[in-house]
Amino acid sequence: MDEPRRKAPARLKSRIYSALVEKQAEEGLLPLGQCQGLCVFEQAVALLPSEDLQSRNPCRVCHARVLAENLEDPPIWWPNCPYSDFKKS
Amino acid sequence: MGESFRFSDDKELTEQTDQDLARAVLARDRKAAARFVEMFADDVYSLIWNRLTPRVGAVDDLVQETFLAAWSALGRYTGEAPLRQWILSIARHKVHDHYRRAFQWNFDAVDDEPAEAESIETALLETERSERVLATLETLRPEYAALLRWRYWDGQSAREMAVATGKTEKAIERMLARARMEFREKWEAAHGRT
Repeated sequence: MDEPRRKAPARLKSRIYSALVEKQAEEGLLPLGQCQGLCVFEQAVALLPSEDLQSRNPCRVCHARVLAENLEDPPIWWPNCPYSDFKKS
Repeated sequence: MGESFRFSDDKELTEQTDQDLARAVLARDRKAAARFVEMFADDVYSLIWNRLTPRVGAVDDLVQETFLAAWSALGRYTGEAPLRQWILSIARHKVHDHYRRAFQWNFDAVDDEPAEAESIETALLETERSERVLATLETLRPEYAALLRWRYWDGQSAREMAVATGKTEKAIERMLARARMEFREKWEAAHGRT
């Protein structure tokens, strides 16, 4: 029997992504300078000369994360933000 | 550290790209983590929602638990199976764990053996997802509803359930009989005799 296919709520995807990145960050994230597809804020952090700062998670202090974890259609539109992409997927 | 993860083609995934994604997530690439969630969250959500319905209150937590368990186990992913299948198998284990937790029952209190209700069992198997069955399950006590879903929708045998819960197969069968009896009472109260 085929089961009905359901889409996961965008805010759930956002919470899962936040939790996964928190896990990844426990040992330091891949520096932003080595990542592709950065959002506007990540691009700014990537310019910093400190690899330690680049290996942290700027999403922790980003309002996009807070909005996306709590709203199904958060007012986030800038490119390369995972939280923005989840509402479109 | 290697280059950040990026798919060459989002739709045509091969085992190689599955392994690329797994490696990138393990390399703590945040963009790969986003891709991991985006690719599999709908499948995992759908599987768990369908297994737990109509009691879907725990779905979000189980989906998140599935992804965190996948993160913990990702280092053991060999690429033999597609990543989608691999994470869905973790989701199925999470559903079984949920059933086990929901299945808190004092077996010692169940010392008689109610008559089997074959017609009700048939109804559960044949019309398993009908609105009426779902509505009836909703009225059962949670441990009965969980037991019937586990047995008939998830296809677990009484022996498998006994192993999973540490109970005897006989105790599981008695509990199933009780659950079917309550289901029949609720069903007949709502829809008449079958």
